[in-house]
Amino acid sequence: MYVFEHALLNLGKNKGRNILLGIMLFAVIASAVIALSIFNATDSIIENARIEFNTMIQIRPQRRQMGGNDNGASTVTLEDLHRFADSDYLSGVQIGVGGGFARGNETVFYLRSPELLYAFEAEMREKGLPDDWAVFRDESSYRRMIAPIENLQDISLTFLIVVMLFGAAIMILLSVIAIRERKYEIGVLRAMGMKKNKVVLCLWVETIVITFVCFVFGIIVGTVLSNPVAGALWTGEGQINIALNGITALQILGASLLLATITGAVSVSRITKYEPIKILMERN
Amino acid sequence: MSTLALQNVTYKYEGSSKNIFKDVNMDFEKGKVYTIVGKSGAGKSTLLNLLAGLDTATEGSVTYENENLAEMNRNRYRAKNAGIIFQGLNLLTNATAIDNIVLSMNISGVSERNKKAKTYSLLEKVGISKEKATRKILKLSGGEQQRVAIARALAHDPELIVADEPTGNLDKQTEDSILKIFSSLAHDEGKCVIIVTHSKKVTNIADEMWGLDKGVFRQMTKDKK
Ligand SMILES: Nc1ncnc2c1ncn2[C@@H]1O[C@H](COP(=O)(O)OP(=O)(O)OP(=O)(O)O)[C@@H](O)[C@H]1O
Ligand SMILES: [Mg+2]
Repeated sequence: MYVFEHALLNLGKNKGRNILLGIMLFAVIASAVIALSIFNATDSIIENARIEFNTMIQIRPQRRQMGGNDNGASTVTLEDLHRFADSDYLSGVQIGVGGGFARGNETVFYLRSPELLYAFEAEMREKGLPDDWAVFRDESSYRRMIAPIENLQDISLTFLIVVMLFGAAIMILLSVIAIRERKYEIGVLRAMGMKKNKVVLCLWVETIVITFVCFVFGIIVGTVLSNPVAGALWTGEGQINIALNGITALQILGASLLLATITGAVSVSRITKYEPIKILMERN
Repeated sequence: MSTLALQNVTYKYEGSSKNIFKDVNMDFEKGKVYTIVGKSGAGKSTLLNLLAGLDTATEGSVTYENENLAEMNRNRYRAKNAGIIFQGLNLLTNATAIDNIVLSMNISGVSERNKKAKTYSLLEKVGISKEKATRKILKLSGGEQQRVAIARALAHDPELIVADEPTGNLDKQTEDSILKIFSSLAHDEGKCVIIVTHSKKVTNIADEMWGLDKGVFRQMTKDKK
C-alpha cells in the first residue's frame, strides 16, 4: 500500500518532469482520438455505402460491337420493367423513362439485401429478361461516391500511425533522460531494502496515473476537435459527422496504457540491471 | 557470541586486480561498539558495504546470525536487520526528512500505528526540530542531513547499526549527543554498533577499535592520553 502512497508523493515532487511528460502524452492522446474517431467514422460510412451499393442493381444490353449502340440488342419494355419490379426480393425500384421509351439502363432496382442478387437475376430471366442483357452493379458511381471518404480515411490512418510512433519515440526519449535522476532514487530505495518489483510497481503507478489524467483530458479535447478537423479535411459533399464511441475510447485507453507500460519497461529494464551499490557509487 | 562475522573475506572491485583486503576474519558481538579507523582509501567503506549486504565478498563469507549474507534475502536483511548510515547519506534529497524516514519504516514493515509521531520523536532525539523535519533534505545543512540519516537508520529498530563517518559534519556538542545515542544502543539495548570514523571522540565510546592498513585489520589498544 505504501508503494502507491510513495508513487503519488513522487508525482508531486517531480512536477516539472511530470508536467512535460503529461503535455506530450496529452497531445499524443488528443491527436490519436481525432485520428481514430475520423478513421472509425469513415470506416462505418464506407461499410454502409458498400451495403447500399451492393443492393443497387441495374440492367443493360450487352454491346455486340465496338463503339456500337444498342443495335441488334433485344429490347426491354416498360411493361417488362414493371414485371421485374414486382418482386419479393426488392425493397424499391426507380424506373427510368425517357422520350416515351423504357430505359432499362437507367432503372435501378433496390434489393432487400445484397445476397439476393442471383435469385433476383434468375427471377428476371424467367420473367423474360433477354440473355444479351446484363445484370450489374454500378461500380463507377460507387467509386465516385466513396473516393473522398477513402481519402479521409487514408489521411486519418497515416496521421494515427505517425502520432503513435512520434508519441512512443518522445516518451521513450523522455524516460531515458529521466533515468539519470531516478536512478539515484532507485539506488536509495533499494539500499533501504525495497524489493525490485516494488520499485518497478512504484514507477509504473506513477506513469499510469499521469497517463490516466492525460487520457481524460485527451479524450475531451480530442472529441471537441475531431469534428472541425474532419470538416477541414473533408472534400466530399455535405458534411461529415464524427462522434467518439466507447470502443474508440477503449482503444485509445488501451494504446495509452500500452505506451505507458512500454515507456516504463524501458526505464525499468535499464534501472534494475544495476545493483544498488553500483548506482550509489556512481553518484557519491 | 558473535552476531556478524567475516570468514576469510577477500575483496576486490570488479575489473580491478588489486585486493582491497585479503583473508579477513572478524567477529562483531551484540552489546558492543566497534570503531574502524584507517587512511582515506584504505577500504573502510568497502567493508561496510559488505557488512550492510550491499555487496558480496569476492572470496570467503560474511554471516549474520550464522547465515551467509550472500545466500540470504539481502533486501530483507537491509530492511529489517541492519540500520545503515552511508558516508554519502543516500537520502531522497527531494523529499522531506519525515517522508524519508516514514518511507524507510514502510519498507522495513514497521507495524507502528503512528509512524509520523515516532519519526518526530526520533528526529527530536538527534536534534532536528519539527519545522526542519518537514523541510526538503536539500534545504537542510550537511550536519542536519547527517542526523536525518542517523534517525532513518534507527527508525526500524535494527539489531545491527553500521555507520560510515556518522559524525563527520557535526560540531563537538552535537557529536557528543549522537555518540550518547550510539553508546546507549549498544550498552543499554544490546545492539551491535559498527562505526567507521576518524574522530577521537567516537573511539572514546568504543569497546573495540580496529585499524585497517594495506588490506590488513589489526585490533588497536585505546589511546590512554
Ligand atoms: N567502484 C570501485 N571500483 C574500483 N575501485 C574502487 C571502487 N570504489 C572504491 N574503490 C577503491 O577502493 C579503495 C577503498 O575505497 P573505500 O571507499 O572503501 O575507502 P575508504 O577507506 O572508505 O576511504 P575514505 O576514508 O576516503 O572514505 C580506494 O582505493 C578506492 O579508490
Ligand atoms: Mg569511505
